[in-house]
Amino acid sequence: MGKSRRKQKVIPPPQLPPDVPDEDIEFSDEDLKYVEENTEYARFVSRLDTAAINKQCGGRVKTVEDKYEEERSKKKTLQEEKGNGEILVDPVDVLPVKTLDGKLHYRTESKKSKLAEADTDEAEKDVLDDENLLNKSQRREKAKKSKREAKKHDKDFPNEILQEEETPQAAVLAEVKEELSAAETFENKKNKLAELGMLLLSDPEANIKSLKEMLDICKDENTKIVKLGLLSLLAVFKDIIPGYRIRLPTEKELEMKISKEVKKTRFYESTLLKAYKKLIIFETKSVYNQIANRCLCTLLEAVPHFNYRDNLLIAVVRNISSPDEVVRRLCCSTIRSLFSNEGKHGGELTVQAVRLIADHVKAHNCQLHPNAIEVFMSIRFDEDIGKRDKEDEHNKKYKKNNKRKAQEEQNQVQENERKKSKQEMMSKIRDEVSADYRGVTYEPDAKERRKMQTETLSAVFETYFRILRNTMYTIGERTEENPTSNPGAFGSHPLLAPCLDGLAKFTQQLDLDYIGDLMNYLKKLASSSSVSNNTKQKNSKLLTVSERLRCCLVAFKVMRSNLNALNVDLQDFFVQLYNLILEYRPGRDSGVVLAESLKIMLCDDRHQDMQKAAAFVKRLATFALCFGCAESMSALVTLKTLLQKNVKCRNLLENDAGGGSVSGSIAKYQPYATDPNLSGALATVLWELSLLSKHYHPAISTMATTVSNMNTSQSQTFLSAVTPQQAFADFSLVKESFELKNESRKLNKRKRESLPEEAKNVPEIDMVKLSKKLKENFTILRDIKEDKRVRMELQSEKKKPMKKQINVVKKKLKNPKSKKKI
Amino acid sequence: MRPLDETETTVVFEKLFKFVGNNLKKIVENPSDEGPESTPGSYCFRLQKNRVYYVSEALVKRATNISRKNLVSFGTCIGKYTHAGSFHLTIMSLNILAANAKHKVWLKPTSEMSFLYGNHVLKGGLGRITDSIVPGDGVVVFSMSDVPLGFGIAAKSTQDCRKLDPNGIVVLHQADIGEYLRDEDDL
Repeated sequence: MGKSRRKQKVIPPPQLPPDVPDEDIEFSDEDLKYVEENTEYARFVSRLDTAAINKQCGGRVKTVEDKYEEERSKKKTLQEEKGNGEILVDPVDVLPVKTLDGKLHYRTESKKSKLAEADTDEAEKDVLDDENLLNKSQRREKAKKSKREAKKHDKDFPNEILQEEETPQAAVLAEVKEELSAAETFENKKNKLAELGMLLLSDPEANIKSLKEMLDICKDENTKIVKLGLLSLLAVFKDIIPGYRIRLPTEKELEMKISKEVKKTRFYESTLLKAYKKLIIFETKSVYNQIANRCLCTLLEAVPHFNYRDNLLIAVVRNISSPDEVVRRLCCSTIRSLFSNEGKHGGELTVQAVRLIADHVKAHNCQLHPNAIEVFMSIRFDEDIGKRDKEDEHNKKYKKNNKRKAQEEQNQVQENERKKSKQEMMSKIRDEVSADYRGVTYEPDAKERRKMQTETLSAVFETYFRILRNTMYTIGERTEENPTSNPGAFGSHPLLAPCLDGLAKFTQQLDLDYIGDLMNYLKKLASSSSVSNNTKQKNSKLLTVSERLRCCLVAFKVMRSNLNALNVDLQDFFVQLYNLILEYRPGRDSGVVLAESLKIMLCDDRHQDMQKAAAFVKRLATFALCFGCAESMSALVTLKTLLQKNVKCRNLLENDAGGGSVSGSIAKYQPYATDPNLSGALATVLWELSLLSKHYHPAISTMATTVSNMNTSQSQTFLSAVTPQQAFADFSLVKESFELKNESRKLNKRKRESLPEEAKNVPEIDMVKLSKKLKENFTILRDIKEDKRVRMELQSEKKKPMKKQINVVKKKLKNPKSKKKI
Repeated sequence: MRPLDETETTVVFEKLFKFVGNNLKKIVENPSDEGPESTPGSYCFRLQKNRVYYVSEALVKRATNISRKNLVSFGTCIGKYTHAGSFHLTIMSLNILAANAKHKVWLKPTSEMSFLYGNHVLKGGLGRITDSIVPGDGVVVFSMSDVPLGFGIAAKSTQDCRKLDPNGIVVLHQADIGEYLRDEDDL
C-alpha cells in the first residue's frame, strides 16, 4: 500500500533551505575542524554549480514548446551571425555535420535560389529519364518520385515558409523568375508536362483537370514546347480514351438526382470531351503541319470509334493530297488502315472517307496525287453484296409460299397444331435471342453492312468514272484548245493509272449495264493516239503509250472477270495492242506494263483467230529484233506460247513464202497494216528467228533456236512456265549477269529448264588480274609522266648554264671531229 | 454484162457495208495480179442476168469477148437481184466477207450442224462473239477452227447477248455453206 501511494504521489523536489546570504552564516568550531581534517573530500563543494541546481529544483517541467523556442533562438542567432542569405535546414531532415574542430555545422541553404534549387534538384533527377517522354513505366516511376518529393517538400515548406513570411514573397518570386535562364524554363516545362502526363495516366479520373493545364502549355510561344505538348497530349489521349462513345447527358438527365459515382463519371467524361475537342480544334488550325498531322492521324487510327471522328476524318482527308510527302504518306497509311480494320469503327467511317475523297476529287477536278486514289485498293467488299439481295427476295417469296402452305395444312390437319405452336414458340425465342445479341454486339447488322458497302462501292465507282470522263474531256479538247493550257502540278492524267488499277480490281462488283459504257470509254481512251497534225503542239494531254496499254489491259481484265459463259472477243483492243507494240519505246514507256498486257491479252486467251495470232507472232518477232534483252525475251516467250497454242501458225516456221494453201484469204503480207486480221501474216515466214539465234545474249539465241525447231505436229503440248513478265524482269538491265566471251556462266532462274546450266566460271579472278595489270600499266604511265615533268623543271632551271655546257660540249665534239676530219 | 449504175452500186455497197464496214475500201481497191500485165489491176462489179459479179478488170476484158447467152459466170458472184428488185447477198460472197468481216461469231462444234442446216444461231451454241455488235449488223459465222460457215444478221447486241437465256436467237441465218448441197440448182 505504501509503495503504491508513493508511486501515485509525485514526489516533489526537496524544499530549499531558506535563502541566507553567505556573510551571515556562522560556522561552529567543530564544523571548521571537520572540514580541515577532510579537505580532499570536501573540494567538490566549491565546485558545485548552484545555479544549475537551482534550476533543476525550480519545479518547472520542460515542454516541447521550450525546446522549440530554444531552437528558434538558436536559429535566429545563427541567422544574425551569417546574415540574411541563409536558412537553416531542419536538422530533422539533414543531420548536422561535426567538423574536426568539434564544431557542429548545421546545413544551410541560401534563400534566394531556394525555389530554383528545389527544381533543379528535381530536374537533375529527371533529366536522365527525360529522354523518352512516351515510355510508360518510366513515366510511372517519375510520377511516384514526384509525389514523394511533393510530400517531402510539403514537410519542408511549412518550416521555411513560416520564416519566409517575414520577407515579401512576390519580390522573391520575381527575382527567381528573372534569374532562371531560358534552358531552365524549358526544362521546367518539360518536367511539368511529364508530371501532368504521369498523373493523368496513373489515375485519370482524379486528375482530369491536369488536361487543361497541358492544353495551356500548348499555347506557349516556344515552338518546341508546343510540339512536345501536342505529342504528350496525343500519348495521353491514346491511353485515356475509353472504348465507347461518350454521350453528354441531356437536360433531363442533368436534372435527375444522381449518385456521387455517376456524378464523378459524368464530370470526368465531360472534361475529357471538352479537352479533346479543344485539342482537335487547335490541331486543325495549327501551324505546325507535320506534328499536328501526325497527331490527327494517330488519333484517328487509334480511336476511330470515339466522338469527333468526323472532324478528324475531314482533316486527314484534306491532307491526303498535300505536296508534302511525309504528311501525305502518313495520311494515306492512316486511311488504308481504316479501310482494313473495319471492326474498330463499324464500317461507317469507310463510307464517309470514301465520300470525302470523292468530293475532293470532284473539287480539284481530278488533279490530285495518285496516292489519293491508291488507298481505294485497300477497301474490301463482301463478295455477295448483290447476291444476298436476291436471296432475300427469294427467301421472302418462299416464306410467303410456306406460310400459305402452312395455313392450308393447318386448316386441313388439326393434329399438327401442337407441333406448329411449338415451332412458333421456338422461332419466337430464337428471334428474341438474336435481337438481344444484335443489340449487344458492336458489329453492324448484316443489312446495314450491306447498305454501307453499296454506298462505298457507288462512291468509289463514281470517282473512277469521273476520272475517266475527265480524261476523255481533256483529250477531246486538244484539237480545239490552245496549246497554252498547262497540265496540273501532278502531270496531265495523274489519277488515271490508279483509277484503272482499281477498276480492274473491283470489276466483279460492277453491274453488267455499266460494263458496256465502261468498254466504250476504254476504247476511246485506248485509241487516242499521240500523233497529231501539228507537230509543234506539245501533246501533254494525250495518253502515253503506257496509259493506253493500261486501258487495254483493264478492258481485258474486266471482260475476263465478267465471263458469264460468254466469251467476248475484244477486237478493237487487239488492234490497239497491235499498233502499240510498234509505238513502244523502251526509255519512255513502261516495259512492265507491256509485258503484262502481252501476257493477259495473248498468252491467257483461250482461243485465237488464226490470222490475228499469226499477225501478232510476226510483229512480236520483228519487235524482238529492235530492242534490248528484256523486251526481246518477253516477246519471244509470248511468241513461243502463241505458236504452241495455235498449231496452224507454225506454218510461219516453214520456209514456204506465200504460205501456200494454208495462207488464208489474204495472199500477201502487209507489214504496215493496222488491223491484225488483215495483215495476211499467214503468208509470211519468221526469218527473224534465224537472226535472233545469233543474238549476243546466249539465252535469247537458245530460245530463238528452240522456237524455230518447233515442228508442226500436233503432239507438242508442252507449255513453258515462264510468263513474259517474268522474262522481262529477269532480263532487264538491272540483272545483267553474264560476260560476253564466257559462254559458261550460271543463270539466275531455276525455271529455265530448256537452257543449259553450267558451272560457274571464275570471273572474279579475272577482275583481280585485270586490275593488277591496269594498275601496273597506270603506275608506269604515271612514273613516265612524273619523270618528264621533273626533267622539264630541271631543264628550265638549268637551262642557261646547261646551254652553255651543251655548247661547250658541242664545240668539243666538233673539234675532235674536225681534227679527225683533218 | 454491164457495169452497175448508180442506184445499183449504192445498194450493193450498202449491203456489203453492213458486213465489212470500213473495209469496203479494201474490197473495192483490191489489187489483183491476174492477167498478163505486170501492173496490178483492180476489181470491179459487173451485172449479168440479175447477178452481180466481183471480178478483176483483166478478166472482164476477156469476158467481153464471150456473147451474153454463152456467158454463164465470171469472177465471183456475190449476190443477185430478185424479181421484186431487191438485192440479196449469196453464199458465194462468203470468201470476200470472211476476209474483211468486222463482226464475227464463232460457233461451238455442237451447234455447227444446226446452223449448216439453215437454222438460226442460238445463244447456247455461241462460242465467241466480237464486242460491240449492234442489232441489225451483218455478222459472219465461223467455226471454232476459223472456217467460215456462213453469215447472217445480228438479232441482239453483245451486251444483251449476255443476259439472254440459252435459247434466244443471236444471229438470224441468211446464208451458209450447206446451201451448196441443198440449193445446188439455184446458184
